[in-house]
Amino acid sequence: MNIHTYEKLWLVAAMVLIVGFIATITYGSVGLGITMVGDQQPTIEPSEISDDERFGEPRVEHVGENEYEAYVVAQTFAFSPDPIEVPANSEVTFYVTARDVIHSFSVAGTNINTMVIPGEIAEMTVEFDEPGEYGIVCNEYCGSGHHDMEGMLHVVPEDEFDMTELSVDADDELELGDEAAFNVSVENRMLDDLETTATLEIGDEMLEEELTVAGGDLEETTFTVDTTDLGEGEHDWTVAIDNYEESGTLTVVEELETDDENEDDDGDNGSDGDDDENDDGETDGGEDDE
Amino acid sequence: MAKPTEVRTMSEAGSTYIDAFPAEAKVVRAAFYSSFLALAIGGLFGVVQTLHRTDVYRFMDSADYYTVLTAHGVLLAITFTIFFLVGVFTWAITTSLDRGVEDIRFTWAWYGLMVLGTALVAIPIFAGFTDSIDMSASVLFTFYAPLQAHPLFYLGLVLFVVGTWLAGVDWFRSWLAWKAENPDERIPLPTFMVLTTTLMWYIATLGVAIAILAFLLPWSLGLIDSVNPLLTRTLFWFFGHPVVYFWLMPAYMMWYIMLPKVSGGKLFSDPLARVVFVLFLILSVPTGIHHQYLDPGIAEGFKFIAMTNTMFLLLPSLLTAFTVVASMEHGARQRGGEGYFGWLKALPWRDPVFTGMALAGLMFAAAGFSGMINAGMNINYLVHNTFWVVGHFHLTVGTAVALTFMAVTYWFLPQVTGRALWNRSVALVQVVLWFVGMTFMSNAMHRAGLLGVPRRTAEPQYDGFEFEAAVGSVGELNAQIALGGILLTLSLALFFANVVGTAFNGKSDSLPANGYAETLSGSEDAPLVLDNLKLWTAIAVVLVIFAYTFPILSIVDRGGLFGPDVNPFPVSLDTLPVLGLVLEQYVTTALATAGELTGSIVTEVTP
Repeated sequence: MNIHTYEKLWLVAAMVLIVGFIATITYGSVGLGITMVGDQQPTIEPSEISDDERFGEPRVEHVGENEYEAYVVAQTFAFSPDPIEVPANSEVTFYVTARDVIHSFSVAGTNINTMVIPGEIAEMTVEFDEPGEYGIVCNEYCGSGHHDMEGMLHVVPEDEFDMTELSVDADDELELGDEAAFNVSVENRMLDDLETTATLEIGDEMLEEELTVAGGDLEETTFTVDTTDLGEGEHDWTVAIDNYEESGTLTVVEELETDDENEDDDGDNGSDGDDDENDDGETDGGEDDE
Repeated sequence: MAKPTEVRTMSEAGSTYIDAFPAEAKVVRAAFYSSFLALAIGGLFGVVQTLHRTDVYRFMDSADYYTVLTAHGVLLAITFTIFFLVGVFTWAITTSLDRGVEDIRFTWAWYGLMVLGTALVAIPIFAGFTDSIDMSASVLFTFYAPLQAHPLFYLGLVLFVVGTWLAGVDWFRSWLAWKAENPDERIPLPTFMVLTTTLMWYIATLGVAIAILAFLLPWSLGLIDSVNPLLTRTLFWFFGHPVVYFWLMPAYMMWYIMLPKVSGGKLFSDPLARVVFVLFLILSVPTGIHHQYLDPGIAEGFKFIAMTNTMFLLLPSLLTAFTVVASMEHGARQRGGEGYFGWLKALPWRDPVFTGMALAGLMFAAAGFSGMINAGMNINYLVHNTFWVVGHFHLTVGTAVALTFMAVTYWFLPQVTGRALWNRSVALVQVVLWFVGMTFMSNAMHRAGLLGVPRRTAEPQYDGFEFEAAVGSVGELNAQIALGGILLTLSLALFFANVVGTAFNGKSDSLPANGYAETLSGSEDAPLVLDNLKLWTAIAVVLVIFAYTFPILSIVDRGGLFGPDVNPFPVSLDTLPVLGLVLEQYVTTALATAGELTGSIVTEVTP
């Protein structure tokens, strides 16, 4: 074949360019350890997500020193959990699956980006060096409300990050002279122990208790207050631990209308106010808990 | 009419295509007009989208945006491009073999089938605009399951593709008949290009045919309960990537055989043109997985194979860049051009056919660069499914292809109508306006993509955060996109003015003759093996088997042939059922978590 000299040179240059591209990407993968979303994860039945150990309750888990796992579910037209909160200076592995149609999980302005396909689980490990707030968008068309599908990723400073959950079980209404009991449970989902102080403020009274919650554990304590000291009427109370607060109102009356004490009336609200969906779930759970 | 001698008719003065092949000219004209109708509607929808997305002017509900987008994608990416292609290819076969089609009724039959298919696809898409018809297909051009369209949508696509298959049969018939009469002749270059592209198309469309016939159509009819979303998606991209070369090949053909001619010269090299088309035949299909770099469920190794094939696919495009520029330079020097760059001034810049194609080629070079980014498996994570990608393909199919088609239309229209072009100056303004409009729109799309602005989104404005531009601002990008969209629409209006104006012009006797460029280095320099279509097809099939067998087996093994238990998700504008479904899911989730929590509390209490 008769090929012009310039054309030969061009041909060689083109081949060098192509081989160069492939080489740099191979280096990125092998040398720098940039891995792709692949088939590392098993499949999952979308109809069984709710019962799944990881995705039944979408959340962030602490799995090692500075290592976290985030289980995320995408569905029309929301991500769960939302926002996703992780500490700076950490390595987070995201596991993302879809409940209905194909979505994406894409953190705007970063290379955190994956398709989310029903039946499949995408796995991505990301290092977060600095605190920051990022928007999460679905960039795969998923139906008429596609443009409303968004979430947030909060990378909080390391020293402000915890995975504490506070819930308080207290009476709503008591008879004058009864003991008011505030059952406080503190869950520490970090692996490290949590040393903290729980406080109860009611009326003019202020009670304090030192608590140590072991990593991955739940600690309970009870504050008791004599209603005689409070007197008749409505009393606002607040239980606080670190940055979390739980409030309610206790009504003290002369005589209760029914003689049954409503023991199980709890104020089991998620304390961080972050996971809207889960909180609703927990509240429902509390009410069913007879 | 069928002369068995290979005579390049360009050397004979005075004979237009319609003079030589009146019956075929009618089919080609019909195909062009069908293509232009799709361009008109699709283009109008394009400007509606630019104004809606950027929030410059919104007159419809955002849910309707996706119906508009579906129509825009299908009408422009499929209907406009492929109708134009069948017109050009029919012209190329008849002109370069210098014989009419074997049976004009068969030619009309495949054209009719393509029209019928388009109509069937269009009905459910357009029905999506009204609630009074219980039909919709707002599934976009990619129709990823579990999004589900009305069965007519899938059926129409099948008929359209079958129409193109029959068109291919028509071209092969012509070639075989010609070959029987000219056993020792080389395949004329334009025919060679048509045949290799058609073979590539046959291989490529197998993917979409299986996706629709085995899965999506029966599923939409309720015959099967579910599909494997990853499998149908993979089969779509088996077809979805090579389809871009199906659009591109007629543009390449024009750059090889028309651009040198309108530049005033000859094609630099016939053998390398053949090499380029052979490379496209071999490498177009085993690359589709590069659209799925971010898909869970496909191993990294398979993605790597697709990437390697994709990178080598740069080679034919880089070779084309050389040949096209070299041919233009040759033309310019024939016209008296001199110097290293001075020859550029000698090119016929006042000719809209030349200028349109040259600008399209320039844009394609830019598209090549953004395409290299897309092809890079790791850097792709930054841009995948962002507006960057939209910027990229508005340079490729939206300019390299569309602008080339519009520019050569100014040459083809007189050939197939026998009427002089209505207005050459308007035509020149039109192609330049397209270039300018696309420069604004496409560069802004690329830049917005880098900020993370997603594609395919009616309202890329979010409640919780804003996209941050390092240079400029989101407002400035939006302004460029809207301005670009308006300029492109103006350009389209000028184009249609010329098409209509020409159709109403009187018959002209002084039209240029039909023909195409001669070559500096001709087919006699091309090794015979290049014309061995069976060999190249076999290699292409082997590469496809190599690239796809294991990924598909793995996908089926993981998710099952008919997939996990996924509900169909009919895409309609009636949002109530959708909301209902969402609500139901929330309630199910809430109840399930509640149950779980109860369980955990109970176990904690028991000890």
